[in-house]
Amino acid sequence: MKALFRNLTWMAVGLLGAAGLAAIALERGEPVNAMWFVVAAAGTFAVAYRFYSAFLAARVLGLDDTRATPAERLDDGKDFVPTNKWVAVGHHFAAIAGPGPLVGPTLAAQFGYLPGTLWLIVGAVLGGCVQDFVILFFSMRRDGKSLGQMAREEVGRRGGMIALLAVLAIMVVLLAVVALVVVNALFDSPWGTFTLAMTIPIAMLMGLYLRLWRPGRVLEATAIGLALTLFAVVAGQWVAAAPEWARYFTLSKPTLALAIIAYGFAASALPVWLLLAPRDYLSAFIKVGAILALAGGILVVRPDIHMPALTRFVDGSGPIFAGGIFPFCFITIACGAVSGFHALISSGTTPKLLMRESHARMVGYGSMLMESFVGVMAMVAACALQPGVYFAINSPAGLVGDTAEAATAAISAWGFPVEAATMEALARQVGEHTLLNRTGGAPSLAVGMAQIFSTTIGGHRLLSIWYHFAIMFEALFILTVLDAGTRVGRFMVQELLGHAWKPLGRSGWYPGILLSSGLIVAAWGYFLYQGVLDPLGGINSLWPLFGIANQLLASVALVVATTILIKMGHRRTLWVTLLPTLWLVTVTLTGAWQKITSPNPRIGFLAQARALEGQLAAGAVAAGKVEATTRLVFNNRLDAGVTALFVGLILVLILEAVVEWLRVLSGRKAPELRESPHVPTRWAVVP
Amino acid sequence: MRALLAAARALWAFLRLWSGDADYDVYRARVDGPALSREEFWLESLKRRYDRVSRCC
Repeated sequence: MKALFRNLTWMAVGLLGAAGLAAIALERGEPVNAMWFVVAAAGTFAVAYRFYSAFLAARVLGLDDTRATPAERLDDGKDFVPTNKWVAVGHHFAAIAGPGPLVGPTLAAQFGYLPGTLWLIVGAVLGGCVQDFVILFFSMRRDGKSLGQMAREEVGRRGGMIALLAVLAIMVVLLAVVALVVVNALFDSPWGTFTLAMTIPIAMLMGLYLRLWRPGRVLEATAIGLALTLFAVVAGQWVAAAPEWARYFTLSKPTLALAIIAYGFAASALPVWLLLAPRDYLSAFIKVGAILALAGGILVVRPDIHMPALTRFVDGSGPIFAGGIFPFCFITIACGAVSGFHALISSGTTPKLLMRESHARMVGYGSMLMESFVGVMAMVAACALQPGVYFAINSPAGLVGDTAEAATAAISAWGFPVEAATMEALARQVGEHTLLNRTGGAPSLAVGMAQIFSTTIGGHRLLSIWYHFAIMFEALFILTVLDAGTRVGRFMVQELLGHAWKPLGRSGWYPGILLSSGLIVAAWGYFLYQGVLDPLGGINSLWPLFGIANQLLASVALVVATTILIKMGHRRTLWVTLLPTLWLVTVTLTGAWQKITSPNPRIGFLAQARALEGQLAAGAVAAGKVEATTRLVFNNRLDAGVTALFVGLILVLILEAVVEWLRVLSGRKAPELRESPHVPTRWAVVP
Repeated sequence: MRALLAAARALWAFLRLWSGDADYDVYRARVDGPALSREEFWLESLKRRYDRVSRCC
């Protein structure tokens, strides 16, 4: 009777999820309510967790709670610490959920709400969650080894070096593109810039509190930091209203980019306790709070979705980034569906925390489902805007013009009516001079979030506060990714430089720190600056590049996982990692091929370089813009080269893995797993 | 009321563990021999956390 009730309940949950998916996929002619998105995602994720992750845990991986985890065997109270399952989920979720699941879906909304939402749900269930879960499990079985170490040991000698180079290259593009999102959100915005700038002294104050006065009292310091940050959001309004103050915080895009580059260098070179760590504490709390508030707001407000299911831009002519649904929707949304970067977290801190092998299911698979849910909510917030408003905020000046009249006329001509007066009124309501040409996703998401929040609390009077709270929340944790990423990139550069001259590899040697910090910041700073000067907004070239890189890293992780599964003797269940691998390799290689060779100058880097060269040769470029155009030609060729480098690195690794697979499968090589030996747990096992 | 207090206590304990506020207490409970001071432990834990990829995109 109990079993029957359980089965009927799960059948009902499954049917509810299916009904949600049908409602968002089939509804036409009238706005779909956001609740259907919540129902579709929650229903599908619940069923996927209950059945698919259980299948992976029992039939594929064979989680074994009688086996001591590294956290139990190597417990040192520092790195290896047996941690409560839900605390481990909290740690892992806070580490994997960055700006990607918010920005990616917002950008992909240019195709309409449907392609991105379906990819978020299906991609997470069959790809992203599987990747996170299996890599976490394999790393746990290997005493918490990193993805690079596993690649070297299980695939081949070159695997480790390729993983290191790939991660470094990806890091450079990632940091550039997230910094560009901040620049596009904050240029000419004294309120937003002031608020974000204030988080630097606030974080430093927290750092001093934690270092000098109350070492390690994170909650006390964070409470002080949170109060000051919220005050800074409100105070930004007064700064923006006072011309003598506002002029110091009204920055152009290039100035803002240079300020962020200088900040990145400082954050990398300064002691970690002074700026990076306290900012991370602040960011983690605000991130979780804002995400919970967004989820609550959507449930309370239940907004209608105004974006159509599919827009005319499915043909590849999108204003935010050019390229068709296949492959660009699946590249644009990486975090939230499948993100290779997660494999670095799953093979980093998390495997050293798990008390039981069975916890890997909730921590690995479950946390990724939560991140995907965040992505669905971001899609809802972006698509709840009127499409004309969404495109007016996100379309670059190079495409629609930089005046409200020109931009709204161009966007209305695409079939998304919007008036200049509407945009001007909206900008006034959120406390900005203009919302136009803010390509990058952050401002449109902030407007969507602010409308949802203000409907719940405060009404239109608080719209400007909520908008700047949302901008601060997005920018704050983008900067956290920026400074933590720059620091890790610095260590990677030092590791590489150490091969050339040993002292440069020493992490405590200050000249080495300054040189490696300078190199990594110069690398991402160059791409950031090129994005800022790009008349098409920079996102058009950099976000797909980042997406391709991130998905290629996911391919690496899944190839490593497939290799291990083959060595474990799996044949019939190999599809669990092989299918997402094949999909990702197809998507990324197609995307990379199109970005390099497409004859459409808005898609192909080389085609754009040729087109610009043609304009220069024909004398069609104004004298004042010749230098910038020549630089654009070089930058496009550089982007093509970087894309080719990513593809080359990954193809070498995949080829090496396939050779290993064939050797093992044909019996020419005995499968040799590098698992730690089985040690029985000392803790009671709950059946 | 008692259940509410228990829930609040559990939430507080979760927050302390999740945020790292309780890390030193956890460490002290696990180390038999000479232990690091609170400040030394905190600085070392930051180094361990931020010397590798700790935040995703």
